[in-house]
Amino acid sequence: MAKETVEFTVNGKGVSLEVEPGEMLVDVLRERLGLTGTKAGCREGECGVCSVIMNGALVAACLMPIKKAQGTAILTIEGLEANGELDSVQKRFIEHGAVQCGFCTPAMVLAGKALLDKNPRPTREEIQLAISGILCRCTGYQKIIKAIDAASQSGTRGEA
Amino acid sequence: MSEERKKGAGTTTGEAFAVVGKSKPRLDALDKVTGKLKYLGDVEYAGILHGAVLRSPYPHALIKKIDVSRARALPGVITVMTADDIPGRNGFGAITPDQPVICKDKVRFVGDGVALVAAVDEKTAIKALGLINVDYEQLPAVFSPIEALRSGAPKVHESGNLITTSRIEKGDVEQGFATADVILERTYEVPFLEHVYLEPDVTVAVPSADGTMTVYGPMQALFTTRRNVAPVLGIPVNRVRCVGTTPGGGFGGKEDSAVDTAVRAAVLSWKTGKPVRLEYSREEIMLSTCKRHPMILTCKIGAKKDGTFVAFVGTVYNEQGAYASLGPVLPPAGGVHAHAVVMLAGPYEIPNVKVEGYLVYTNHPYGGAMRGFGAPQANFAHESLVDELADLLEMDPCELRMKNSFTLGSHTATGQVLDQSVGLRETMEEAGKAFGWDEKRKPIPDRKKAVEEEKRTGHGMAIGWYRTSIGTAADGVGANVHLLEDGSVIVYQGLVEMGQGMHTGIAQIAAEALGVALEDVRVVTPDTDSAPESGPTVGSRCLTLMGNAILIAAQQIKEPLMQSASELLETPVERLVARDRYIFDRDNPAKRLELKEAARRTMAMGRRMVGQGWYTPPKATLDPKTGQGSPYFVYSYATQMAEVEVDMRTGEVAVKKIASAFDIGKAINPMLLEGQIDGGIGMGLGYALMEKVILDEGVTQNLGLKDYLIPTSLDMPEITAAIIEKHNIHGPYGAKGIGEMPNIPTPAALNNAVANAIGSRIYEVPIDSEAVWKAIRGQKK
Repeated sequence: MAKETVEFTVNGKGVSLEVEPGEMLVDVLRERLGLTGTKAGCREGECGVCSVIMNGALVAACLMPIKKAQGTAILTIEGLEANGELDSVQKRFIEHGAVQCGFCTPAMVLAGKALLDKNPRPTREEIQLAISGILCRCTGYQKIIKAIDAASQSGTRGEA
Repeated sequence: MSEERKKGAGTTTGEAFAVVGKSKPRLDALDKVTGKLKYLGDVEYAGILHGAVLRSPYPHALIKKIDVSRARALPGVITVMTADDIPGRNGFGAITPDQPVICKDKVRFVGDGVALVAAVDEKTAIKALGLINVDYEQLPAVFSPIEALRSGAPKVHESGNLITTSRIEKGDVEQGFATADVILERTYEVPFLEHVYLEPDVTVAVPSADGTMTVYGPMQALFTTRRNVAPVLGIPVNRVRCVGTTPGGGFGGKEDSAVDTAVRAAVLSWKTGKPVRLEYSREEIMLSTCKRHPMILTCKIGAKKDGTFVAFVGTVYNEQGAYASLGPVLPPAGGVHAHAVVMLAGPYEIPNVKVEGYLVYTNHPYGGAMRGFGAPQANFAHESLVDELADLLEMDPCELRMKNSFTLGSHTATGQVLDQSVGLRETMEEAGKAFGWDEKRKPIPDRKKAVEEEKRTGHGMAIGWYRTSIGTAADGVGANVHLLEDGSVIVYQGLVEMGQGMHTGIAQIAAEALGVALEDVRVVTPDTDSAPESGPTVGSRCLTLMGNAILIAAQQIKEPLMQSASELLETPVERLVARDRYIFDRDNPAKRLELKEAARRTMAMGRRMVGQGWYTPPKATLDPKTGQGSPYFVYSYATQMAEVEVDMRTGEVAVKKIASAFDIGKAINPMLLEGQIDGGIGMGLGYALMEKVILDEGVTQNLGLKDYLIPTSLDMPEITAAIIEKHNIHGPYGAKGIGEMPNIPTPAALNNAVANAIGSRIYEVPIDSEAVWKAIRGQKK
């Protein structure tokens, strides 16, 4: 099977790679681009810790054939800081104690970011839905929901 | 008060704390939200070999012959190992080494390891597994603890299927029941449960020219791992170095599974002389690593008309599965089994108690440590039972619990007098207020009408208790605390930050004790080459015990530091206070210096800059014949109240609200504490409503997270948690454990809420829609 060239952007930078058929986005990010903030937890699209933002939408990178990345813009956790400053979702995660073991954290932060970019004033239910594809075994989701709420325009803006 | 100061507190007692008790963000939060923190799977090792394990497809079989020649011949395969290739002891285990690194003569469960491969990449290693031919002779297998105890049952191990019998006997239960007006007996069943830590198990083993083997991994118990790797390799313990990498969750599982991957990676590394990575896939983890113990628990309680408990009898059939792991009794009261037996009568003062527990091998996967360590199983039984008893007595279940539950001075089932730090009844009061129990709770409705309605709301509760320790003499912990010349501090210790926030908590304790800022303290990643023995990261013991060790170490540094400050400030030591990076005169706070100046002088004068703290908790006792004694030195307490909505047509349960309250002594970091509560309740909700390892003839049917469901964000209600801080005289600043307490009462609270909604009771978990649907219609699941 022939190798193919795939071109896309990751965190704003252009990438051009020779890829094998069947290669998955998660492995390309982690192993070829060194972006290990994206995790692999189950490799069947169930745990969601591999989630990244592709063209504005949250996707499970472990189920995403790399060929489908052609022409897309991908945002990983490493691309969230702007000018050395954390994204407000990251800041609120720290302040509200939304982080425990941290293995789902990059995916959860990105899920919050993807939601707020589209819907700056989500309800609690909308936040619950937005992160429902990502499993967390540590937090019971409570403080993750609070942190995303606090980062939103309807939220408390980190008053806690 | 002076007694408390001596035992627990640092030097700032009497004033508001500067660091302790504050909701500080965790020290590793920044690295985690940016994705910069490296888990072991994120680290590249050039030229590393990849290991793989060939697993038994049979639950019980003799190995007649293994042919590895085709696998060995596969290009890229460096070694294929069978049992004869193990250099030392072919066995591992957290308590007793009964699990073969590689099975020699027989396999005991589906997933047992029969050969190991190391190859240049993972693909090749897995391909090689398919080229190994094993001739098995299948043996009759046994899948239930009750079956396994029958005479003539297949023997899982030569020693017999009964591992141990534990008992508690207090008073005279026959006499007790004779005085009862109401007696209720029920049997409860709980299944194997999977931890579902999100980071898969992985170990990297690296050999050194000097014969030392270094093992990297997300270990929950570095010293247990070291204690197992050394004899398996046949080398002294000081030739094994275990370096803890940040676990992506553990929940007890990585106390055991990290030993499993470590001994296997280590023998492959020893054989090849090369670094080896061994990582288990999600399916492999679910197939082969330890689980929560399934139990069959029969409980009988007797009470007077007014609700006073007079007698309790319990019998536990505790299924160990194929290997001992953390099940057996480690005297006097260590191990899952002893703990379950001690906890079974609940946090109630009952004059006559008898409990018998049988821990039994079967040909199933094996039970190990999982958050709660036998207590959630026991709690589901006693809290479901007491709730049903309240129905029989036509009493409010909260009132019945209030009447019988532990308070200061109570005697437990093991005869332990609870002489300090007992806030259980306060947790009931606080949870009740937050929940609105008195207004909301209605008696159980008439079941006959149930099916006619679409949805019903129910309210239920449960209470619980949990130890802060492991119940053996080997519960000591060590910490080395170094003060540096710029006033910064390094802490070396061997307990693991697996998400619970313990490193931040002990850094807060160190900062408070020394008078520095939290940011000035660095807790070094645990490494057995630099950390003193600390035991395992388990038992809700870590913050309390390690906090004490750190206070002892800090005191050794503090004395010379204050001496230096005294000289610089020309003020007597007794008047000096260290706080927030300054040392000042208590009587004249303006007279002060920066702590780092005193640190610099301490160094310049050649005074002590290193403290070594060793803390041994009060002695655990439990008579093996009577089960009487003080097995654990202090307990935490909790109440949970739940509101559920049951769809009467489908049996589906939606949890609407959980109000909880916890007595955990001093809250060192309230925000991180709440995180433990939220997460524990989430885990308990999964146990109650959806989780179960499904086994058919020893074969796991739901491997993978699409078939084994855990709660998502959509399953979780809002949780409230009230904190009651009953000072623990044996804890740093009065703290006691929290890690395991929160998930313990949740299954029973939800079961009782469902019963309140539907008007009939369920005696097993998970309480899934099928179970509820059938219960509504008066059928058994």
